[in-house]
Amino acid sequence: MANIIIRNLTKKYGSAIALNNVSLEIDSGEFLVLLGPSGCGKTTLLRCLAGLETPDEGEIIIGDTVMFSSLDKIMTPPGKRDLGMVFQSYALWPHMTVRDNVKFGLDVLKTPANISKETLDNVLLNLGMDQLADRYPSELSGGQQQRVALARLLATKPPVFLMDEPLSNLDARLRMDMRVELKRFQSDAGATTVYVTHDQTEAMTMSTRVVVMKDGQIQQVAAPGDLYHQPSNTFVADFIGMPRINLITLSADKSDKSIYINDDMSIDIGWVPGVDEIVLGAHPEDLVVSKKITSSSEEYSVTAVLPNGPETIIQLTRGKTVVIARVAHDSTYSVGESVYVNYTTSALNVYDAKSGLIIESN
Amino acid sequence: MSNFTTQKKWFDGAIRGLLLNPVNIALALLLVVLAYLVLWPFFQLVLETLTWGEGDRRLSRDAVPGEFTWFHWLQATASPIAGKMLYGPLINTLITGIIATIIALSAGGILAWCVVRSDMPGKGWLQPILTLPYIIPSFAIALAWETVFRSPKVGGQPGLYESFLGVAPPEWISYGTVPISITLAIHYFPFAYLLVAGALATIDSQMEESALISGAGKLTILRRITFPVVAPAFVAAFILTFGKTIGQFALPFLLGAPVQFHTVATMVYANLALGLDSLAFVLAVILIVISLVSIWLSNRFVGKKSSRFETIGGKGFRSREVALGQWRWPVFLTVALFAFIVGILPLILLAVQSVMLIDGFFGLENLTWHFWTGGSNPDIAFGEPGVFHNNNIIGATWNTLKLASISAVIASVIGLIIAYIVVRKADNPLAQALDQIAFIPFLFPTIAFGAMYLTLFAEPVGPIPALYGTFSLLVLISVVSRLPYSVKTGVTAVTQIGKELEEAAEVAGASWSQRFRRIVMPLASAGLTSGMMVSFVGVMRELSLIILLITPSTRVLMTAGFGYAEEGLTQLSNALVLIVAILTILGELILWWIGKGRMARLREKLD
Repeated sequence: MANIIIRNLTKKYGSAIALNNVSLEIDSGEFLVLLGPSGCGKTTLLRCLAGLETPDEGEIIIGDTVMFSSLDKIMTPPGKRDLGMVFQSYALWPHMTVRDNVKFGLDVLKTPANISKETLDNVLLNLGMDQLADRYPSELSGGQQQRVALARLLATKPPVFLMDEPLSNLDARLRMDMRVELKRFQSDAGATTVYVTHDQTEAMTMSTRVVVMKDGQIQQVAAPGDLYHQPSNTFVADFIGMPRINLITLSADKSDKSIYINDDMSIDIGWVPGVDEIVLGAHPEDLVVSKKITSSSEEYSVTAVLPNGPETIIQLTRGKTVVIARVAHDSTYSVGESVYVNYTTSALNVYDAKSGLIIESN
Repeated sequence: MSNFTTQKKWFDGAIRGLLLNPVNIALALLLVVLAYLVLWPFFQLVLETLTWGEGDRRLSRDAVPGEFTWFHWLQATASPIAGKMLYGPLINTLITGIIATIIALSAGGILAWCVVRSDMPGKGWLQPILTLPYIIPSFAIALAWETVFRSPKVGGQPGLYESFLGVAPPEWISYGTVPISITLAIHYFPFAYLLVAGALATIDSQMEESALISGAGKLTILRRITFPVVAPAFVAAFILTFGKTIGQFALPFLLGAPVQFHTVATMVYANLALGLDSLAFVLAVILIVISLVSIWLSNRFVGKKSSRFETIGGKGFRSREVALGQWRWPVFLTVALFAFIVGILPLILLAVQSVMLIDGFFGLENLTWHFWTGGSNPDIAFGEPGVFHNNNIIGATWNTLKLASISAVIASVIGLIIAYIVVRKADNPLAQALDQIAFIPFLFPTIAFGAMYLTLFAEPVGPIPALYGTFSLLVLISVVSRLPYSVKTGVTAVTQIGKELEEAAEVAGASWSQRFRRIVMPLASAGLTSGMMVSFVGVMRELSLIILLITPSTRVLMTAGFGYAEEGLTQLSNALVLIVAILTILGELILWWIGKGRMARLREKLD
């Protein structure tokens, strides 16, 4: 339908840089999620795509059309970009019924009455809103309002969907259901979708690719699985994953270049990163915890036990080093107990402590 | 080189984009127009006081029309007539203003506490009656006072007081400082009442309850807790009320002029009547300065103290009524009596007066409908026909309704557009400037504002014709004087319309005018309607603002009523003021009826 190309996009608010030289290509039909902490520029990027903000520099191409170019002085207004958007607040017009809300976009496009009516009925039926078509937004529940916003997006059949944290106002249970539905409508429509969220579960479960942003810059673009297993720097590693990844700073041992140590521990990572100081990224499931001493294991004491349904999270302390491990739900650890830990070295990620960037093992 | 051209093209493109944006066009246009209608008149007024005029030839041999001079300022401040022209009236203004404000604030404060915080019965219907004196024209209260305390010593018929007691009231009760202060206080206490009631309503009664638990008595709590918390609002109310009293013209004129008692505002009018225009303008400038200083003081005070006393909490806020116990009914009776005397009695007096053949003569045989329904009779009132047959009055009524409705509609729509620009372009310094300029008319005492327009539109300037004497000029000044209120109403309305609502329409492809018509206007309509009604009522009872600009063909009810009062045709002036009072009360009822009206009124007073 339509791919999106973003080149060297920069947006400043006074001296604050919201977007810093962002480049990104989004394939047609892709479900791309922009993820990051608040103030990272993800919403600004989405609004630049929509045309609601004018970037200072760069280029935006949607399909075959240049929508924005600072060099060629092009700034296509939002209404001419042929895209649909769902806002965080849904932005339903309170003085219009559900039907009129959905119809507005068709009216503006001067759709002939018969086609408009047919489209309207179809969309409302498809979203299960046909019975509520004559109600006003204030008479609807949060989930129903969300559906109206979605109906409004679908009615004009735009090739590009933009969504700004559309599920953040729903309660946890409804959010789960709506994720599935959103995904269904998106793939049915085949629309290229850019979706902003700060909820990593949402990002991981819905997207084909995730863009992690921080301070107006892209940190990593990857498929959800790759993002989890191979975060490209310590920021992404720290940001992705619940519970958090363990990041341990270690220095090179003089005698062996694959061994790194700190005051509390020493570990042989099995290859030579070639820097003096590293940060080791170990997911909680990469720690093998045992009550019995095993070869090359180190002794930790259990400082907290947090059962969490199918698994249990335990906090382990050795000297000043505090790590989190994920163990089976039926494990019987108690606070104060001594345990023995081995790291699954093959799963560990190694980062240069100076730059924070990942060091690949050849 | 090519880089330079592309940059230039980019610049041109950006400029063109800015210029074609309808919001920017409206912004630029409004800035220019308002600067001309608000800022320029003030400079023009000051300029006028510093220039020799044509009429000055008879005052001074040195006069060269059009040349710069300090003459008028020296004449006002340092000449033998300075005492009579400036210092006397200035002292009168300050004294009546301060006394009136003290009375208004004490009465308003006590009543506010009774209505908001105590368990006094009958609050629901007492509150609207208590605000009546502020709703009806101040002029009506002065006329009612005269009806009772008129003294034949200054000519005319005796008042109610003399007719019943057989002796003339002492002159200090009939005219001068005392009656002016009291009637001003009656007119403005509802204003103070609303300000203090607003502050009292925000007190969390848990503050008082915790004092109660500490063992404090009711009076101690009132003195040590309640009063200190509302003190900043009190001070602000004091300064704002004072600022309002000094601009009052009709009331002090009616109760002061017969004994040569003048305030600065009445002196402006008197000097203009004598043809001493420049001197009048000097006084107008002084009036504006007093007003600016008082508003500045109030902002300074509230700005510094208010955040410290911020009492509106999100959680656990409770407002509990204080039980009056055995005092419940005595308090109610006192308040009800007071409400009757200040709210209803004046209107009854005016009504009775308007059906008396010879005013001041109280007897059944003296009652007549002549002044309402009678035709012209050379023996009565110089042959002026009754209200319903008097073309002069019918024309004035028509003009009043026309002026009030046209001004209200224009002021509200322009107010909404300005509010839209101010809210949506919050980061644009020009939009902020527009907001400031639109607020400035609030700072001008109304009679001084009228004087400004008198100087500005007396002669044609460039493409702008001499508007003096036209109906358009009245509409213009009424609209501009209402802008501070209509912009505030508009800002509240627009702020409630989330930005995303408009962006959603923008993404759907709606143009700016489509968005304004289909999203902004319908959503702002409730606020817009009540704002229009407030302006309608406000313009209708306005006198000081337009008294200097009125000509016989553009007369309105208020100025016609004032004219009759000056000529001593009390019955007719009473009838006219009564009509205005009833129209404004009707307007207020409609406002009440549309629900949000009360809130809108409250906002007008608080801002």
